[in-house]
Amino acid sequence: MKRHWVTWAAPPAIVVSIAVPAHATQYLTVEQAQKLAFPAATRFAEAHVVFKPADVAEIERRSGEKVRTRGQQVWRALVEDRLVGFFIVDYVIGKHLVIDYGVALEPDGRVRMVEILEYRESYGGEINSASWLGQFVGKTSHDALQVDRDIRNISGATLSSHHVTEGIRRVLAFYETCLR
Amino acid sequence: MRPASASARRARPLLGTFVEIAAWGPPGVLDGAIDAAFAAVAQVHGLMSFHEPSSDLGRVNREASRGAVTVHPWTSAVLRAALDLHRVSEGLFDITVAPVLQRLGHLPGRAPGGHPAEAPRDAGFELLGADRLRFRRPGVRIDLGGIAKGFAVDRALDVLRDHGAKRGLINAGGDLAVFGAAGERVWLRDPRRPAASLGHVTIRNEAIASSGGGRALVVDPRRAAPSLGIRGATVLAPSCLLADALTKLVRIAGEAAGPVLERYGASALFLSAGGLVHVTRDWSTRVRRAS
Repeated sequence: MKRHWVTWAAPPAIVVSIAVPAHATQYLTVEQAQKLAFPAATRFAEAHVVFKPADVAEIERRSGEKVRTRGQQVWRALVEDRLVGFFIVDYVIGKHLVIDYGVALEPDGRVRMVEILEYRESYGGEINSASWLGQFVGKTSHDALQVDRDIRNISGATLSSHHVTEGIRRVLAFYETCLR
Repeated sequence: MRPASASARRARPLLGTFVEIAAWGPPGVLDGAIDAAFAAVAQVHGLMSFHEPSSDLGRVNREASRGAVTVHPWTSAVLRAALDLHRVSEGLFDITVAPVLQRLGHLPGRAPGGHPAEAPRDAGFELLGADRLRFRRPGVRIDLGGIAKGFAVDRALDVLRDHGAKRGLINAGGDLAVFGAAGERVWLRDPRRPAASLGHVTIRNEAIASSGGGRALVVDPRRAAPSLGIRGATVLAPSCLLADALTKLVRIAGEAAGPVLERYGASALFLSAGGLVHVTRDWSTRVRRAS
């Protein structure tokens, strides 16, 4: 069996030899994701919602998820003046992840599409920094994040998407509470 | 004037992880190609999820002890591959360890009764032709968690190609496959410390998959218990189904997986508990080590 294999000493775990510190990608701008979701739409009307305390309680009751924002970014997708759906931008924060994603809904609230807009993996402390988060949330510009463009593909421990699943549950409760 | 070639990279939450799809080719075809590739991944998820009672797999686990169950040709193809891997690995690749994962709380539902450690060493199920299968005895339960993700990546890549993309990449949480003339550099995460890399390798018209470091367990069917000796494994193979499945085998068997890897045209790297990196000889010239 030995003939199949060679061995070397692994770099010590305590030394970050080649760092994979922030695997981050911007996939789509809000505008690009809107067009993908509703190609026939002639315009997207901003309809951002600021939560009233009762909205927060209702969304939390319906979804079982904590509401951590003061409102939700929403656009109405219109063909001329006819409503063809909603586009909602949301974000979730995991232990090692911050994700901006877009949810497109049919007018009746069914999910039409979910696309990741921006994905940032981090094993450092900067996720907890409020100022850093403030830069990130709701932004779609390229300049907010400094990214090593070379590190695009990583094979290794799978990162779970369950935070996004929970986020979508909260977005659907938001639809029921504020948009329906 | 439109450029003759463009690229697009998108990601969606699917298969319990993040599936990233990149395509290069004529600008008019990319959005449709990527939409269709995501749809193929979602279809595999819908057919082969252990968690969805309405999936093909859910139906198989409820009904195949009592008689033959007909499944989708894709499910059938994955089961056939699993049967082949079970035979070639002399039972070490085993998709019927689901009850062990249920007892450990890694899969939902209550495990059926019985003593899996004493179960016979056959595959636990048989294929009957025409996409039908049945379990060989009561208490068998299948989980395709160690192979379906790789299959989904392969199908998505086929879809990109069929839609006219000239080059494509699918990355389902680290199970990754590419086609096209250009090579893609892939960084290998250190399973002990996810912010660090063991090195990188460039792949071309092939697939790579990794196991270890996260929460996912690999069950050693000989002991009906988690395999803990190997910290993480990465496999390069002609298809992502093979790469995905063979990472599980390497984590169970270590160097003893050598002949099976060779038979499937695969190569591997694994990190033993003692901190040594083991690589197959054919791969030792390809991986660029972190110094």
